[in-house]
Amino acid sequence: MGCASSLPDRNSGTLSGLSNSENAVPADAKNLRVKLVLLGDSGVGKSCIVLRFVRGQFDATSKVTVGASFLSQTIALQDSTTVKFEIWDTAGQERYSALAPLYYRGAGVAVIVYDITSPESFKKAQYWVKELQKHGSPDIVMALVGNKADLHEKREVPTEDGMELAEKNGMFFIETSAKTADNINQLFEEIGKRLPRPAPSS
Amino acid sequence: MLLSLVSKRSLEVDSRDAYGFALRPQHVQRYQEYLSIYTEEETERAEKWKNFLDRQEDRTAEPCSSDEEFQDTFQADGLESGEDSDSESEEGSRNGKHEDCELSGTSEQQLEQDRTETVGDVSKETEPAEEALVLDKSLRSDTESVKDEEEEKFESDKDKESSVGSESESDEEQQSQAVKEPVDHVHIQQEEKLVAEEDKCESGHEEKAQKETKAPRSVIEWAHIRPCLASIEDMMCSRVKNVKSTKNGQKNIVDDHASSIKESLSSIEESGENDRDSETSTSRSHSIKEENEAQGSVSPEPFFPWYEELEVLVRLGVPKDLRGEVWQAFVGVKARRVERYYQDLLAQITNSDENSSDVQRKWKKQIEKDIPRTFPGHPALNENGRDSLRRILLAYACHNPSVGYCQAMNFFAGLLLLLMPEENAFWTLVGIIDDYFDGYYTEEMIESQVDQLVFEELMRERFPKLGSLFSSDIQVSLHIFLPYTEQCDRFFYSNNPPDAVNHLDYLGVQVAWISGPWFLSIFVNIIPWECVLRMWDVLLFEGNRVVLFRTAFAIMELYGPAIVATKDAGDAITSLQSLASSTFDSSQLVLTACMGYISTNEARLEELRKIHRPAVLEIVEERIQKGRVWKDKKGLASKLYSFKHEGSILDHEQKSTQRNDGENQDDDDESCSPFLNLDGANVDSEVDSLPDLQEQVVWMKVELCRLLEEKRSAVMRAEELEIALMEMVKEDNRLELSARIEQLERDVRELKQVLSDKKEQETAMLQVLMKVEQDQKLTEDARINAEQDAAAQRYAVHVLQEKNEKLVTQLAQMEKKLVTAETTLEATLQYESGQNKALSSSPRFTRTTTESPKKKTGFLSFGLGWRDRNKAKQTEESNVDNTSNAASEAKSPSKESVNLSKENKSEDLLDPETRR
Repeated sequence: MGCASSLPDRNSGTLSGLSNSENAVPADAKNLRVKLVLLGDSGVGKSCIVLRFVRGQFDATSKVTVGASFLSQTIALQDSTTVKFEIWDTAGQERYSALAPLYYRGAGVAVIVYDITSPESFKKAQYWVKELQKHGSPDIVMALVGNKADLHEKREVPTEDGMELAEKNGMFFIETSAKTADNINQLFEEIGKRLPRPAPSS
Repeated sequence: MLLSLVSKRSLEVDSRDAYGFALRPQHVQRYQEYLSIYTEEETERAEKWKNFLDRQEDRTAEPCSSDEEFQDTFQADGLESGEDSDSESEEGSRNGKHEDCELSGTSEQQLEQDRTETVGDVSKETEPAEEALVLDKSLRSDTESVKDEEEEKFESDKDKESSVGSESESDEEQQSQAVKEPVDHVHIQQEEKLVAEEDKCESGHEEKAQKETKAPRSVIEWAHIRPCLASIEDMMCSRVKNVKSTKNGQKNIVDDHASSIKESLSSIEESGENDRDSETSTSRSHSIKEENEAQGSVSPEPFFPWYEELEVLVRLGVPKDLRGEVWQAFVGVKARRVERYYQDLLAQITNSDENSSDVQRKWKKQIEKDIPRTFPGHPALNENGRDSLRRILLAYACHNPSVGYCQAMNFFAGLLLLLMPEENAFWTLVGIIDDYFDGYYTEEMIESQVDQLVFEELMRERFPKLGSLFSSDIQVSLHIFLPYTEQCDRFFYSNNPPDAVNHLDYLGVQVAWISGPWFLSIFVNIIPWECVLRMWDVLLFEGNRVVLFRTAFAIMELYGPAIVATKDAGDAITSLQSLASSTFDSSQLVLTACMGYISTNEARLEELRKIHRPAVLEIVEERIQKGRVWKDKKGLASKLYSFKHEGSILDHEQKSTQRNDGENQDDDDESCSPFLNLDGANVDSEVDSLPDLQEQVVWMKVELCRLLEEKRSAVMRAEELEIALMEMVKEDNRLELSARIEQLERDVRELKQVLSDKKEQETAMLQVLMKVEQDQKLTEDARINAEQDAAAQRYAVHVLQEKNEKLVTQLAQMEKKLVTAETTLEATLQYESGQNKALSSSPRFTRTTTESPKKKTGFLSFGLGWRDRNKAKQTEESNVDNTSNAASEAKSPSKESVNLSKENKSEDLLDPETRR
């Protein structure tokens, strides 16, 4: 389950002027660049998902995220486009949500994570969905992720609940495990596929 | 669990620094390189500090007595608790089920200690700095059996406390003392020497005393330096008191706002219990502060001549051995500390396990989550260390409910615990969070947001080039709720400086994305530990957040060029992060920060904060309002839902009151309580009397729900529209701006073209001018020549005229002579002819023919005779002969010839001149 993602960096550094600071505005049709923000309750494994995706590592006792942390990773899709994810991993504690707008404003993708063993974190995920619908970019791509799928014997949030919430809000849903790397790459590949493609410039 | 820990440890042992913190694999190499520099610096500063403190000691004649008291209380505590636990040991047999983990913890503690010992051994090989620790471990192992006993007692005490619930006052006191006991054992690193000393006092082993003398200098120094540090401490304590007194003055203003926010916050909370709780504890902390002031007889600010020297020393860094104590002195722990306060808090925590409020439970849960995630794998944060950490955090949450627990505090408490005993760490944390970072880590994080705005403004001021790299929408995003015009203003304002317009402007990175985490974590986990500690030295010394700004500037200055070279937002942030985390040159960083950004001072920051604070407050209030609407609505909806499902809203409400009243009841009981209660008389009567009202209430609730829903959607819609509008405006502005820029650029190009044309013209003109000048010079020369010629010619003419005159006179003379000669000749001829006629007048013709030669000779002879006669005039005559040719010629075309000769002569005259 290695990361099929350590590809050479996107070679286009061309910044097409005005609009690329906002949303998922890519440099060209083949090399997409997107700002992704991870939201969710504290301790659901946001940082672990990112670390698994970017570095292929898993550490059960990773550090508390203060404020936010940043990592970026480029993947190649099947249609030979590359997507560079600029990932903002936010702090989970409730009061840090005061700072969250700073990170999700202008993000092209929001990944809302909950812990399948914690109904509370699922509630928090619902809160984030609402918050993003209100204040996020209107064309933001949202994904709902139930993490810690390896702990199925402790599961308290049924898969159906996640699916239902995702469906209602037009989100993409997946259950992952950062520990076993299950579905981590699939998550990002799927997001990459759903990104709006730029209209071929005349 | 343990196995995994062990394997992880073996992996990490060589990737930890001298403080036991994990190093990133990519930094190990560089750290090793800098290690020698660090040790060098360390010895140097140890020397300097020792020097300084020695002099300090000389200055202060008598050692600070209150300090010794401080020390005494520590020891007394230890002794007391020992006795207490002895007397109570038999009582501690009952175990509550919630304490299971702690029970097993005692046996595990042994293992944990072993583990840290081995870690200590390993680190001994690599880091000589940890020798002290290892030595202490050996000391500890001697007293371990004693300690384990004591700890068991402590557990049992605790169990008893929690199970019995409320006890008499004296019991509570004893209990808190018992808590103090293991606390002393948990002190990590150097401070454990102190503990060891206490142990020694208690058990009175002579061998230990001997070992003690062998043990690191810090133990000896502890006694030595303490009085010297006291003077620093006194200074800082007076600062603490000053701050407090000024704060009280301003409090009313601040309180106004804080309380309004607090009110609105608390109204959201479902349980009113929490409010009462927090009120009591705030009032308690207020009373403490007052007490403090009363207790410390506030002396007028003394003059400290060594302040500046100390400042320099602090900037060079505090020696490792002293750091813990020096930090306490800086924070003014002595002035902050209140006897027994910490113990009381701990007692309260253990007591209030069951009846704590929602919020407290939330904090507790969060703390539990975060404790294993605080410096994971640090050798000192074993089971005991974590317990200390937990106690400090819980106590703080209890002490200041307006902050409670905020992620990041776990790191601060952990760091402090590594440097000082638990209670000292608690008071230092209190000082930092309550004072230095007042309003930073509260629920709304207002000051933190304000600081980010201030930092961004200063960044733009300081690094216009770099600042332009960052887009301005921090303002926009933070001010999403502000009126439209203001947003536009901000947008224009921040985009206006035209030099900021370059391709970096569009990277779209916001300063606060990066600097936010820096400030919130006070650079812990952001820059290498050596730097963090050096920065904290200055931070705690200065007593304000200025150094945060300065350090951030220094980092930006150091890595600005690298960031400017990056091509997109991701690369910029990544490179800044990785560069910051590899800033191993701590001296460079701290000195750049402190020396290079002196103009960034507290006064300026305060000024800017005042400007930016209202905006943040506005947003926060907006959020709270919305939160309330949302929560209210949710509450109503859920009630309605339960009403529909269970047929009666009363049932539900009773159920909830039931839950509040009887907390001991099990869930099973509760679920059947509606049915049970329906049988109850009072409920029946209520139900009977209420059908109409009930219906009304239900209807109104439904109506209210509908209205709220409508309101919410309307609000949402309005917001959406506003956002869309903002987006459009932004887009528009951009287009407009870019158009303007293009136009300006075109203008500039045109102007440049014109300029270059002008320049060309100018050079051409210059050339022409030069040519003209040359010509002028030539003509001038020519003129001079001509004038000279004219003069020469005039002279020549003059000369010629003279000659001419002479010649004319000569000619006249000669003509005269000729006339006379002719007359004589005629006379002679006449005479001759007369003679001839007289002699022979017959053959006339022959005579004439023969006559002509005679005539000629006669003429000749006459000529010769004439010549002879004029012998004296011969020279003159020859002259006349010579010039006669010319004269004869000159006679008729005299003028032309004169001209010609003039020209010839002028040429002759010219020659010498040109030669000259």
